[in-house]
Amino acid sequence: MTELLKVEELSKSYQQKGFWFKKKVTIALEPISFSIEAHKTLAIIGDTGSGKSTLAKLLVGAEPASSGHIYLNGKKLHDSSYKERCQHIRMIFQDSGTTLNPSLTILQLLDEPLKLNTTFNEKKRQELIRVTLQQVGLLGDHMNFYPHMFSGGQKQRISLARAIILQPQVIILDEALAALDPSLRSQMINLLLDLQQQMGLAYILISHNLGIIRHFSDEVLVLSHGKVVESGKTMEVMNKPQHKVTQRLLMNQNFQLRSRTVK
Amino acid sequence: MNLLDIRNLSIELISENKNILAVDKVSLIMKEGEVRGLVGESGSGKSLLAQAIVGVLNDKWKVHADRFHWRGVDLLRLSIAERKALISRDIAMIFQEPMACLDPTTTIKNQLAEAIDTSSLTGFFWQKQRQRNEAAIKLLHKVGIKKHNACLNSYPHQLTDALCQRVMIAIALARRPILLIADEPTAAMENTNQGQIFRLLASLNQLKNMSILLISHDLENITHWTHKITVMYSGQFVEAGTTEQIFKNPLHPYTKALVDSSPSANIELPAKSRLMALPGTIPILQHLPIGCRLGPRCPRAQQACVQAPTITSFHDHKVSCHYPLIPTKAKRKAIKEVC
Repeated sequence: MTELLKVEELSKSYQQKGFWFKKKVTIALEPISFSIEAHKTLAIIGDTGSGKSTLAKLLVGAEPASSGHIYLNGKKLHDSSYKERCQHIRMIFQDSGTTLNPSLTILQLLDEPLKLNTTFNEKKRQELIRVTLQQVGLLGDHMNFYPHMFSGGQKQRISLARAIILQPQVIILDEALAALDPSLRSQMINLLLDLQQQMGLAYILISHNLGIIRHFSDEVLVLSHGKVVESGKTMEVMNKPQHKVTQRLLMNQNFQLRSRTVK
Repeated sequence: MNLLDIRNLSIELISENKNILAVDKVSLIMKEGEVRGLVGESGSGKSLLAQAIVGVLNDKWKVHADRFHWRGVDLLRLSIAERKALISRDIAMIFQEPMACLDPTTTIKNQLAEAIDTSSLTGFFWQKQRQRNEAAIKLLHKVGIKKHNACLNSYPHQLTDALCQRVMIAIALARRPILLIADEPTAAMENTNQGQIFRLLASLNQLKNMSILLISHDLENITHWTHKITVMYSGQFVEAGTTEQIFKNPLHPYTKALVDSSPSANIELPAKSRLMALPGTIPILQHLPIGCRLGPRCPRAQQACVQAPTITSFHDHKVSCHYPLIPTKAKRKAIKEVC
């Protein structure tokens, strides 16, 4: 299988303003390379400040990278190629409630990316919105509602609809499942897995719930202080963690599992 | 003796047209030295229950109960002042988002000193200030902060989340409470820090025999630390039992769904298979279903479920359901063998 998204030596550092001799450089992310195929999920784990969110921002193009290249389907993405990026790489955030504009209806919210990125006429756009809403398990008539009329789980579905409406190839989930209640979370995981099957999406999952990562992802990348300390197939890493950081992360969550299996 | 004995507690929100029953006949019994988990998804009324125990609900809420005893004293019969004196002596509470709960305008030192009981200080008035400082340092040592000077002189925003939570626990410990209510103490915290806080709470429980009511929305997070668990759904009591009972042998369809829906609880589950999930969403307070509130989402719901079920007890394993998942003989045997 060919690689869908390939990242080569991507890095990010921030420069603090000051006189030339006082200039301070903070490295948020050291050069990192990985690749991901369609139908696959890559998980990224790490503590706070390990550069997980920075990496996500670089991939969607919310911030320019300091060095390195991103290839999508073998084609290089430039810093200024916003159009391609927002069509093919979409992102879902942790708190879906605050990412939806409260003064717009769902129709207007979902219409926006279509207006900006496609040449469809109004009728075609409405049809597409209706189909997409049904795809994520909502009703087509929900499009005339405002965000506050939905519950937390439904709002997360709307942000998922907004992400998939442009038929992207990669979706980045930045802690998108963390704020949901357990029963809604498993609904959401089922939905994401279904969509992956249907549309051949590749997910980049940023999370600190290792149970979900083990269930959901094919490969995992462990970050610590901006460096990749371990990577590989999820099962291998989870069963035989090599690096200290991974071992500590696993230990903190595996108490209950071990205690229950041993008994 | 039971530390806390609550039977059929209801909490009503008084509104203009119709009162809303936010918590509907919940029972909770805590014994001394016990860590009890209180689990429920958002809107299940677990925080309300905790606030009712501490007595900090305002006039908009009406609390009534068949029994509301704290170490044999009926709390609902006491006057407000008496109740306040009793509660503030025996019960302490910590909240989620410790950063937001601490006063951002003053140092940790002042906030800790404020919590220390003046009557516990012995000595002349010119000695009191020093004693107070020493007591504050002692409290910080108790919660495992070694660099007490750096911590005392800093403001809340200068500390990390986990450290702030430790300071909150230190403030809660100042009056040596018998019961500590921890309302989602580790929400929005990193795993490593979560482990630290839970370990601290567990050691306090073991060393000081302090009872802890641990409130959480996620079953899998707290199972390692609790002796007993009470599950709530949408303001109603669902199931209570020991942690083992709840996990190995859930009787209520909702508890079963919660256990099944957590991927880390089912190691044998093949990766990327579908998870068990209840259909639908959690009902909002304005549109609560009648009878058993799980009814519309429950896979086993039948006609009887339009009436609220009564609590039945199987070997101290209480469940509130018309059709509990009682295991057959063969399955019971299998469970025993596994144990």
